[in-house]
Amino acid sequence: MLRMTLAVFRKDMTLTLLRGNGLAQALLLGLLLVFVFSLSQGIGENLSPRNAAAVFWLSSAFCQVLIFNQLYALEEVNNSRLGLLLVPQPLQAVWLGKALAGFVLLLLAQCVFAPATIVFLGQSLSGHPGPAASILLLTDAGMCALGSLLGALAQSQTARESLLGVVLFPLLTPLLLAGTGVCAQALGGASGEADAWIGVAAAFDAIFLAAGLLLFSFLYTGDE
Amino acid sequence: MPKSFLPLVLPLLGGTALAGCQWLIYVYAPTEASMGLIQKIFYLHLPLAWWALVSFFLVFLGSVVYLFRRSPGADRLCAAAAETGVLLSGLALVTGMLWARKSWGVWWTWDPRLTTTLVMWFIYAGYLILRGLNMPPQRKSLVCAVLGVVAFLDVPLVFVSARIWRSIHPAVFGAQGGGLEPEMRLAAMACVIALGFFWAALIGLRKGQLDLRARMDTLWAGNGPSAAGRNRP
Amino acid sequence: MLELDCVSRFYGHNLVFKDISCAFAGGGITLLLGHNGAGKSTLLRIMAGLTRPSSGTARFTAPSPKIGYLAHSTFIYPALTALENLRFWHQAHCLDKSHDLFKALERVNLTARAHDRAGTFSRGMAQRLNLARILLLEPDILLLDEPGAGLDTASQALLRKEMLDARIRGACIILVSHNIAHDAPLADRILLLEKGGLAYDGSPAFFSAPEVQACCA
Repeated sequence: MLRMTLAVFRKDMTLTLLRGNGLAQALLLGLLLVFVFSLSQGIGENLSPRNAAAVFWLSSAFCQVLIFNQLYALEEVNNSRLGLLLVPQPLQAVWLGKALAGFVLLLLAQCVFAPATIVFLGQSLSGHPGPAASILLLTDAGMCALGSLLGALAQSQTARESLLGVVLFPLLTPLLLAGTGVCAQALGGASGEADAWIGVAAAFDAIFLAAGLLLFSFLYTGDE
Repeated sequence: MPKSFLPLVLPLLGGTALAGCQWLIYVYAPTEASMGLIQKIFYLHLPLAWWALVSFFLVFLGSVVYLFRRSPGADRLCAAAAETGVLLSGLALVTGMLWARKSWGVWWTWDPRLTTTLVMWFIYAGYLILRGLNMPPQRKSLVCAVLGVVAFLDVPLVFVSARIWRSIHPAVFGAQGGGLEPEMRLAAMACVIALGFFWAALIGLRKGQLDLRARMDTLWAGNGPSAAGRNRP
Repeated sequence: MLELDCVSRFYGHNLVFKDISCAFAGGGITLLLGHNGAGKSTLLRIMAGLTRPSSGTARFTAPSPKIGYLAHSTFIYPALTALENLRFWHQAHCLDKSHDLFKALERVNLTARAHDRAGTFSRGMAQRLNLARILLLEPDILLLDEPGAGLDTASQALLRKEMLDARIRGACIILVSHNIAHDAPLADRILLLEKGGLAYDGSPAFFSAPEVQACCA
């Protein structure tokens, strides 16, 4: 199973980063969001750290929807999905491989969003970066576990792409709240509750990693 | 016999019980000192929110059954429960807003329970949109069942996170359950039970409609032009 | 090697076929015939485990057999080169590293294009690459859904040879085809799918002319 996971991961990374559009669309959308929010600042004002953190996570969430739509669309070109289904390995390898690919791609995108948030929204890294780094990894892991599961919804083009966002965003609320809460502290917001947030994010990860493992094979099928 | 009996008796029971509850609400239960008449919203708000949650739990159960048995009946039950749940939680949100306006002077407050109800409303509204899509029927049922499970797993997380998020404010509703007078509590419990019957009747009715439509589709596909049944939602 | 037990399939409310039961042993080629829309492809997908039957069961009697499935879709990633495509499927199937991917490409006559993106290939070349993928697997069960479509004569000859090799190896081969004149001589057994059921199941020798004509019409 691990070999198949790695094979899927490597193939998705090659296809996304080296061939085709790569992250361009997702990155551009995220950056546009940050920019549009920067318009809400008056002259000489800055968004509060909490607002800035929320904008950062909003960009990440939109970016993640595009990433998983793109990752699952790869299999639809020549019906390679059927080929993956025929591999005598646990199907969860596909879920895990795509989740890993999405995780790396999302981290790469966030490497662009984070400076953009700081620059455009006039923030500074005045708080503790430690909890922010751990919540970043935990939140991304949860987003990718769930994104990889629900990304399979979009198979065979009957479900429109915008649907994934509508379904995914409300489910991600706890994670986005956790990410915003902790990252706001790193930007110099009021401190407190970081441990509780990290706990929520970890619980989310545990639940949806398990749900992904259990439910993915129901969703990823040969049906047209 | 009991199968044809139940759909008749449940709405009757629910209707009369709800009507009887009006007496409990307006005559039996005392008027609250600080809020006056507007506090009566509570007797409707609480059962709406509770039964909405039960509906979503029913969606979860039905989804699990569908995933293991693949029975179309379970899928139709999920559809009925989700529709009812969205309706009830929507009404709970509206009544909650009215309450908040009178009680705290704002239309909306980010109380953990209200927030959870709102997020649930969003999740299950998305679920209903998924149900409305034009997909092959079996595929749609499967996708909806997976989402039905995932959505319910999310509910406790949403609640906990909303609680931490607004931990600066004390839990507004927390004090209320303990602070109820016995008459008020009785009236509230009666309302919960009465709405429960009404809720069951609503779900039964909707499930019956969906069953009937599925049967008609089968008959239509059997007799009519074979392509006609295919594109139906 | 493969057993169908009372398999039925509906699309929505439309019946495709009902109560199909048959078993397939290794070392034989079965030709599956039927009109357009008789459900041949659906039956093949059920055999491959890609589609769930609406009722009944399809199961493999051998433990975890390797399945080769060749249909209209080529399973190819257009943005990857021929070699990368092959390498991906090789890794995904967890095959051991001794396989020479170049040799596999050589067998389907694609060595010269090994480093070209598969998106630039013609339909026939893409199908040949797909064939190379299947040959790499050495499948125990080979399911072919009109594999000749889009292939030139040389590739069809190659496919034919590979089918015969697989039969000698003891694989179970099930072939859906419309080209009866071409494929019937290969077959050890013929199945005719008609009116939602199996109208004929037996040796090609007894497969009478009217029935052949009926299913070609």
